[in-house]
Amino acid sequence: MTLSLSVPDILVARAKTGDLEALEALYRAFETPVYNLARRICRTPEDAEDVLQETFLEVVKSIGQYRGEGHLWGWVRQIASSKALMRLRAEKLRMTDELVDEAAGAPPPSVAAGIDLERALEQLSTMSRAVVWLHDVEGFTHEEIAEQMGRTVSFSKSQLARAHARLRRLLSPAAAGS
Amino acid sequence: MHCTIEDLVALRDGEGSVWARRHVGECADCQAERERLYQRVAQLKALPTLRPPRDRWHAIRDTVVAERSRKRRRWMRSGLAVAAALGGLMIVIPMVQSPTHAQELAIVKDSSAQLETVLRDYDSDSRVMSGREADLTAQLEDQIAVLDGQLSQLGESARADAQLVDLWRQRVDLMQQLMQVHVTRAKYVGL
Repeated sequence: MTLSLSVPDILVARAKTGDLEALEALYRAFETPVYNLARRICRTPEDAEDVLQETFLEVVKSIGQYRGEGHLWGWVRQIASSKALMRLRAEKLRMTDELVDEAAGAPPPSVAAGIDLERALEQLSTMSRAVVWLHDVEGFTHEEIAEQMGRTVSFSKSQLARAHARLRRLLSPAAAGS
Repeated sequence: MHCTIEDLVALRDGEGSVWARRHVGECADCQAERERLYQRVAQLKALPTLRPPRDRWHAIRDTVVAERSRKRRRWMRSGLAVAAALGGLMIVIPMVQSPTHAQELAIVKDSSAQLETVLRDYDSDSRVMSGREADLTAQLEDQIAVLDGQLSQLGESARADAQLVDLWRQRVDLMQQLMQVHVTRAKYVGL
């Protein structure tokens, strides 16, 4: 991702006073990375849009608590990932996911014929997809992911390994068989 | 025996076992597998950025504005209630006829305690203020702090003394002014 995510301090200061123009400017600065993160984690574009809205309502409500420690994007990203994972939990997809994942020993023939990474990512269970995205792309640690998911660090690590094993099978079926 | 995907992911994250590290150094297959892992992560990072299909700012702004209106109405109601309570105090206090110093002291202390409660409930620390309001509030709080210091110095030795009553009255007066700052703000600003 090559978006510029730097925000002037004066804009943050104005947003803290509740200035709607400043808050809109923050929204414009972060709407795409927040949506992108949410879309990679959530099942549907509609869910990702809802996460985008919930994230910014939380930003408006809590911007006064942002103390300027670390990049503002890091703070917003934390809120976005938390909202996206909450949505996953709320949908009670975990149990279904695990069943789907267990049953996914080998990709179906149409998939094995070769798919791109984008589609392979969609084939992952929601938890595995969330972990691989948050860890490998967004840069969250296993400790941070575990805390947000309400699970253990071991769970996060095992989901990451499962995600890579599955991606490997989906992307290069021949190599996976060796 | 080759490294598992768990071993390779752990190695990448600097957490691999000594055996896995040594094995990858010697095994061409595992080196190739590790390279595929690196490439996969690089490809993940290079995936196109997905953009929101619709502008959600207007919905967010409408929600924020509605919430602010709701808070404003609530604070106007509570602000008027506090103003009425203050008015009551201002009427009742002078009506006390020729009390002794001890009685007078008890009355002003009670008034002070009531105002403390109202101010604490108002939780002014978590509210946004203008610079002028913040400055005025800070000045009043400083004056109250000075009075508290004087009251503390007088201590028990001056119990029921006229000077003590006077200091407590000054304290109540300052707290009423402080409350007035918040009430005015709640009524007209709604924050």
